[in-house]
Amino acid sequence: MQQIALLVAVPLLGAFLLPSLARVHLLLARWGVPLLLLGLLLWTVPLLQQVESGAVAIAIGHFAAPLGISFYVDQLALWLVILLLAVTLLIWPVFKSKVHQQSLLLILIGSACGIILSGDIFNIYVFYELLSVASFGLVVERRSGAAYAATLRYLVVSSVGTVLALAGIALIYNATGTLNLADLARLESSDWDRTKAIAAFTLLILGFGVKAELFPLNQWVPEVYGAASSRIAALMAGVISKVALLIIIRLVVLLFPYPEVHQLLMVLAIAGVLFGELAAWQSRDFTRLLAYSSMGQLGLVFMALAIPGEAGVLAAVALALHHLLIKPALFLLAESWGRSLSQLRGLWYTQPLKVALFILLILSLLGVPPLPGFWAKWLLLSGLASLDGSLAAMALAVVAVATVVEVSYLFNLVRILVDEREQTVQDVPLTLPHSRVTGVLLSLAALILVAASFNIAAVGQHLQQIVQQAGDRQHYIAVVKPEIKP
Amino acid sequence: MMLSLQTVLYSGAIGLMVIGLAGVLLSSHLFRTILALSIAEAGVSLMLILAGFRPDAAAPILLDMTAAAAPHAWVDPVPQAMVLTAIVIGVGIQALALALAIGVYRHYGTLNVAEVKEKMVRELNQQQQLVQVEESLHAPEGSRPLPVVMRGER
Repeated sequence: MQQIALLVAVPLLGAFLLPSLARVHLLLARWGVPLLLLGLLLWTVPLLQQVESGAVAIAIGHFAAPLGISFYVDQLALWLVILLLAVTLLIWPVFKSKVHQQSLLLILIGSACGIILSGDIFNIYVFYELLSVASFGLVVERRSGAAYAATLRYLVVSSVGTVLALAGIALIYNATGTLNLADLARLESSDWDRTKAIAAFTLLILGFGVKAELFPLNQWVPEVYGAASSRIAALMAGVISKVALLIIIRLVVLLFPYPEVHQLLMVLAIAGVLFGELAAWQSRDFTRLLAYSSMGQLGLVFMALAIPGEAGVLAAVALALHHLLIKPALFLLAESWGRSLSQLRGLWYTQPLKVALFILLILSLLGVPPLPGFWAKWLLLSGLASLDGSLAAMALAVVAVATVVEVSYLFNLVRILVDEREQTVQDVPLTLPHSRVTGVLLSLAALILVAASFNIAAVGQHLQQIVQQAGDRQHYIAVVKPEIKP
Repeated sequence: MMLSLQTVLYSGAIGLMVIGLAGVLLSSHLFRTILALSIAEAGVSLMLILAGFRPDAAAPILLDMTAAAAPHAWVDPVPQAMVLTAIVIGVGIQALALALAIGVYRHYGTLNVAEVKEKMVRELNQQQQLVQVEESLHAPEGSRPLPVVMRGER
């Protein structure tokens, strides 16, 4: 377990060695990255058993907690690392990408692992910036005018987020004199000024919310996902947004368990859900429809997180996991279908398998009973229903409206896909590229969904156990053991 | 009214941040947006430095350790280390932003925010093979009959 820092160090080292290796032999670079990721994945999976009974903290360089940087490994973090590596391995085109893209991908993986494991806000900030830079490089890969413009606009939004987050960090340091998460979690609410705490939280959540597609700093999403290749969009919407979500979960659970914080989160989430779903309803092409609906879905996740206590974290993790499974698959579909919706008419008659799988995935996204999406949405709704106050009631209403809007635009798409009338009228016959890999990955996602819906009790129980560990503030403090300051 | 040094410095830091963020929101030129970002970053760096600042205290490196000085006689070195990191990251990101701005200018021939956005949206629509004028997806089936008056004029 002491070697967990390798998850950060090895990809970063690989990223910088890769260009040199590629000069020696191109094959070395081409196979190096997937083998490295596979090796890390196989190395990480057995570690899960070690943290089942309790989380483990590692002091980097043996400097103890408040002064040194600690890594905190619990089940939630390890699962996220495993999913990150697995999804990347599945969707990354090994044989099509250039060497510098592979390098950037490795930097992305390394910094994401750093964010997931780190237990120090400033350290998280540094890895977050590294992740941003790597994602700028990956997004701009097409080098078209739109790619440059979208990336620059994304960079500006991202930098504004950075400025806000750093201001939040300065505020926390000013109020408490520490940035270690465990050390901060130890503080009672009387120890620091409530106003300062809420101001700091607002700044931090706006800053780190950029990558998590939290309203209002999420306007970059449709442009960037439209300009980047679908695989990058799949990676960012599917996994990277969850990495940023984990930061926010840690902040809410450990640092700011205050009612005002939950209210703020709820307001932002409601706005995000409404904006995302309505914009998706309006969009005319598949890629942007997915981008906007992803914003709406993540709004639902934040709504769940705004429910105080463990129930909220459980609902948020369940929704996020479900989104992580479905969104990459849908974005891969967008690689072959990514075009005007009206041109997808009658696709059912040429690609029946993909359309059938697509319908299965969106049924789960909507929350139709036997599928896992229903269970995740049920957790959210029952959590919201247990709250008092007008804000929770409004959130319930918004979830209902958002679901209706989702049904409207997704089923409209299905109607277009199975429409036979128009196909004969159109003068241009539909020739979409058949991608076998996409088909296989779609089937895989669908298979996991169906398997999960048969074992929903077991999955739910395991998830509950994971969340119990992640939501336990005292456990975090006890594991990291920040030294008492003189 | 006495203004302490810290109050002045804090107002300066927050003022720089506000100027920078306002510049990002209001400027119509991408280069000015990038400059405004660097102003905002300077404000935040100042704020971070101030978190560890104490008036009448020495720089931690100059302190005579044998003098058994009082614990508050030196400024907190941790925020200074953090600001160094933040400045280095900021410089890197600014270089990247300028490189991207050059790319934008090469393709679009302008750095005006509104024009760049318009051209970008048009290019994205073309990429998705979207036709600008398109019947609404949510319009009812069938064609709409023209009003009688208009038909009569034909």
